[in-house]
Amino acid sequence: MKPIPRRKFIQSTALAGGALLFLPALKACKSPVTLSGNYFLKEFGIDEALCRKLLAKALSKGGDFADLYFEYTVSNYLGLEDGKVNQSYGDISLGVGIRTVKGDQIGYGFTQDLTGESMMSAAATAATISDMNATPAGSSFTALKTGNYYPLPPDYDGIPGALKLPLIQSVNEKCLALSPEIVKVRAGFQSATKRIMIVTSDGVQAEDIIPSGYLYASVVAERNGKQEQSFWNLGGTRDMSFYTDKVVDEVATKSVSNTLKLFDAIQPPAGEMPVVLGPGVTGILLHEAIGHGMEADFNRKNISTYSTMLGKKVAEPFVTIIDDGTIMNLAGSLNVDDEGTPGKKTVLVENGILTSYLHDKISAKHYGVESTGNGRRQDFQNYPVPRMRNTYMLGGDATAEDVIKQAGNGIYVEDVSNGQVKIGEGDFAFYVSQGRLIENGKLTAPIKDVNIMGNGPKMLTNIIMAANDLEMFQGGAGQCGKNGQGVPVGFGMPTCLIKSLTVGGTQQKGGQS
Amino acid sequence: MKNKKDTQMNFRDLADWVITQTKNSGANDCRVSMSKRRLVEINYRDRKPEVIKEATTQNLYLEVFINNRSASQATPDLRQSTLPGFITGVIESAKIMEEDPFRTLPDPKYYEGRSTEDLQLCDPDYNQLTPEGRHQIVKTVEEACLQKGGDKVISVEAGEHDETYEEFIKSSNGFEGSSKSTYFQAGASMTARDEGDRRPEGYNYIGCRYRSDIPPLEKVGTVAAERTLDLMGGKKIATSKLPVILENRGVARVLGGLLGPMSAGSIQQKRSFLADKKGQKIGSKLFTLYDDPFIMRGLGSIYYDGDGFPARKRDIFKEGVVNEFLVDWYYSRKLGWEPTSGSISNIIIPSGTRSVEEIIKDLGRCIYITDYIGGNSNSATGDFSVGIIGKLFEKGQFVRNVAEMNMADNHLNFWNKLVEVANDPWIYSQARMPSLVFDDVVVAGI
Repeated sequence: MKPIPRRKFIQSTALAGGALLFLPALKACKSPVTLSGNYFLKEFGIDEALCRKLLAKALSKGGDFADLYFEYTVSNYLGLEDGKVNQSYGDISLGVGIRTVKGDQIGYGFTQDLTGESMMSAAATAATISDMNATPAGSSFTALKTGNYYPLPPDYDGIPGALKLPLIQSVNEKCLALSPEIVKVRAGFQSATKRIMIVTSDGVQAEDIIPSGYLYASVVAERNGKQEQSFWNLGGTRDMSFYTDKVVDEVATKSVSNTLKLFDAIQPPAGEMPVVLGPGVTGILLHEAIGHGMEADFNRKNISTYSTMLGKKVAEPFVTIIDDGTIMNLAGSLNVDDEGTPGKKTVLVENGILTSYLHDKISAKHYGVESTGNGRRQDFQNYPVPRMRNTYMLGGDATAEDVIKQAGNGIYVEDVSNGQVKIGEGDFAFYVSQGRLIENGKLTAPIKDVNIMGNGPKMLTNIIMAANDLEMFQGGAGQCGKNGQGVPVGFGMPTCLIKSLTVGGTQQKGGQS
Repeated sequence: MKNKKDTQMNFRDLADWVITQTKNSGANDCRVSMSKRRLVEINYRDRKPEVIKEATTQNLYLEVFINNRSASQATPDLRQSTLPGFITGVIESAKIMEEDPFRTLPDPKYYEGRSTEDLQLCDPDYNQLTPEGRHQIVKTVEEACLQKGGDKVISVEAGEHDETYEEFIKSSNGFEGSSKSTYFQAGASMTARDEGDRRPEGYNYIGCRYRSDIPPLEKVGTVAAERTLDLMGGKKIATSKLPVILENRGVARVLGGLLGPMSAGSIQQKRSFLADKKGQKIGSKLFTLYDDPFIMRGLGSIYYDGDGFPARKRDIFKEGVVNEFLVDWYYSRKLGWEPTSGSISNIIIPSGTRSVEEIIKDLGRCIYITDYIGGNSNSATGDFSVGIIGKLFEKGQFVRNVAEMNMADNHLNFWNKLVEVANDPWIYSQARMPSLVFDDVVVAGI
C-alpha cells in the first residue's frame, strides 16, 4: 500500500477527531485501522532505512543505546453545562522523541516535524550526551510480539458526531432526576486514540494503538442555602461497548449520592487513629504512599526510603502488592511500554517481602535485571521514566465487617484525592473526599474535608488486616504526575485496616474547635 | 531564533488566511492563536550531565463560532496545505454542539485601551547564552549545593532551563495581540542522610525573565542545601491550636483555594462559597490583594487577558473586603454582569515592616510552614485541609523541625486570623507574596 499524502491524512484525522463517537449501537460504523504493516510507514513514510539513519545519528558520539518514539494522538472532549452539550475541544499531538542513553545519562531531542532534516537535528541533540566514538546502531528490526489488553482498533473513529451527544445528555438527565436538590450538573466525555511506534538500536520495533477515555459527572446540590459537590467517572482503555446505560446510571448515581451525603458529614477529631481503607479507589493511597518509593529510578539514585530494603520484610506476611499492565481495559494497562518492553505483571511485595522495583531500561541495567516494562512517558516531548501501571494489594481472609469491627474507633475512607508523597522521607498526605466515622466497630456519620497524613513505609508495616474483597477501580480519569509528566494509571484495594494514621481537621480531640 | 518581525509577519499572514478560510467555510466568527516555544534543559547529577534536552514546538489553536455554537481544536501542523482539512473538522465539530447564545467572541468595545508600555518580558541578551555557559551554570549551582550539604548529601540534582516563547492572536472581530518572552530557571534539589531510613529532599529553583536577575548561582545552590538540612529530624507534634507563619514562597498554595471561587465560572455554577460575599469582609484589615499586570519583567505580566481584554491593575481584596470578582466574557453574559477579566497576572499582598525573625520572637509557640503535601480546598464550602512541613519555635527559639502534620480551616475564618504581614515579598513567582502570620490555627499531629 502506498503512503497516503500527508494532506489527506491530516484532513481525515481532524474530521474524525471532531466527530469521535461512542455509541455501542454504532460500532459497526468504525473505520478499520490495523497494526500490521507499520502505521507510521503508511502515513508518514517512516521506513527502516530512515530509522537506521536516525539511530546512527543518535549514537554518532557513542552511548549504550538509542531509541525513537513516534506518536500520533487525537484527543477530544465534549462537555455539558447548564443542560447543553456546548463545549467541544480537540487536540492533535504528533512528533518523534529521540533518546540516546549512556549509563544513566540521557540526551533527548524531539520534533513535531516528521521530515528527515528535522528528525536528524533532534537525533543530533540526543547525541550530545556522549563524546566518544560512534556506537553501531541496529541493522535490522524485529517486530515485537505485544500483549492485547484493550480493544484494537478502538471504535472511536468514523462515527457521526451528532450521535455522541445523547450519552452525555443522559448523564445530565439522570443526575437531575435523582434528586430535586441537584442544582448544577457538569458532564463530559474525554477520549483519545494514541498511536505509537518504538524503534530501538538493539533491533526492536513495536507498535500500539491505545484507546483511553472516561465519562464523568460533577454535580452541585443545594440544601438550606448550602452547597456541596462531588464527582464520579468510569472509563479506561476501552471502546464504546463499555459506555452502556448501566455505566451512565453508575456515573449519575455515584456522583449524586456522594454529593447528598456531604450535607450530613462532619469533621472527625484530629490526631492519630486507626484508619480503614474501603475497597477500590482507595488504592490511590497504595499507589502514592508506597508505589512511588518502589520506582527504580528513585532507588538507583538512593533517594527512596526503599533503596536498602530489597529482599527485606516491609509488611506483614499477608501483604502482597502487585503492579500489573496486563489487566484488561484498566487505565494503566499496556500492551507495550514506551521503551519497547511488552506489558508485564510485577510483584513488588510478596508475602511481606520487597521482591522487585519497577524498572525502565536504565534502572534494569543498573540492577542487572530485566526491565519490568514500566518505562512510560506522557508523550513524545518527554523521555520515559519508571512509572506505575495498575497497582493493587491482594485481599486477605477477613470480611469487611471484621476489619471495621477490629478498628474500634477511627475513620473509614471511601474515596481519596490529591495525594502527594515525599519520596525520601516517605511522608504522604491525602484528601478524604468521602468517608465515615467508625465508632465502637461500626460505621456511623459521614465525614468530609479532612486529610490523612502518614509515612509510606510505616503505613505498610501498619497494615494489620485485609478483607477478601479486592476491587479494581474502573475509572479512566486517574492521572499520575512525576517529573512534570502525566500518565494514566489504575489502582485497586481490598478493605484493610491501618493501625494508625494522622487525621487532619479543625476538631481537636475532646470536641474543641 | 528568527527575528521578531519576520516571525510575527508570518504569524499575522497565516492568521489572516486562517480567518478568511474559516469564515468562507461557514463560521460566523473565529479566533486563531499561534505560538512557538524553544526550550533547552540541562540537568546534572554526580557532577556529570544526567539529561540534556532541546526542542522547538509550535501550535495553532482555532476557536470557531457558528450560529451560537462553538468548538475549538489545536494542531502542531501550521502548513497552509494541511490547514483546510483541520478547519473543516473544527467547523463540523461546532455544528453538532447544542445552541448556547452566550458562546460568542467578546464585544469589540472591550478590546480597547491596551497598554503599549514595554514590560521588558524578553531578555535582549538571551542569545548570548551558549551551550558551555549553560553547563557552567548548572555546575556552579551543583557544586555550591554539594559543598554546603557536606557529608549529609546522598544526592544532588542541579538544573538549568531556558526558553523563548512567542504568540500571535487574532480574532475575526478586530482583536490582535502578540507577545514575546524569555524565561530562565536555575536550581538544585538535594537528598540528605537523616536518622533511620529518612532521606529528606529539599530544593531551591529560581525563575526569572532575564538571566541577569537570577541571584548569584552559588547562593542558589547553597540555599537548596540549607533548605534540605532544615528538614532533618522532622517529626509530628501534638495536635494543637497555635500561630502559624506561611513562608513567602508557599503562600500561593493556600491562597489558591480562595482565588478559585472568585471566578465567575465558579459563581455561576454554584461552586463558590464567595458568591454572595462581594463587598463583604471575609478577612482581617491586613488582607489586601491586588492584581498588577504591569510589573517590569514580572512572571505574570501581560498586555491582554484570555478574552483579549486589556490588562489593568485592580484590587481583588481590599482590607479584608471582597472587592472584585474575576469575570470573563462567557460567564459575564451568563450572569448578566459586566466582565472584569477572568485572568490574573501578578498577584500581590503589600508587604509589612518586620522580618519573619523579628515576628517569631513575639509569637510564643508557633510553626513556620516551609512546604506542603497534598490537600484540598472545597470551593463550595471554603473548607481546606493540607499537609504541612516546617519548624517549631518557642519564644523566638528554634525547637525542632516538624513533618507529617496537617493544617485545616475554612477560608472564611482563616483570613480573619491574619495578624501580620512580613517584609519579604517572594519576587520569583507570579504570586509575589510576603510571609503571612495567622493566629489560632489547628495543626494536627499526634
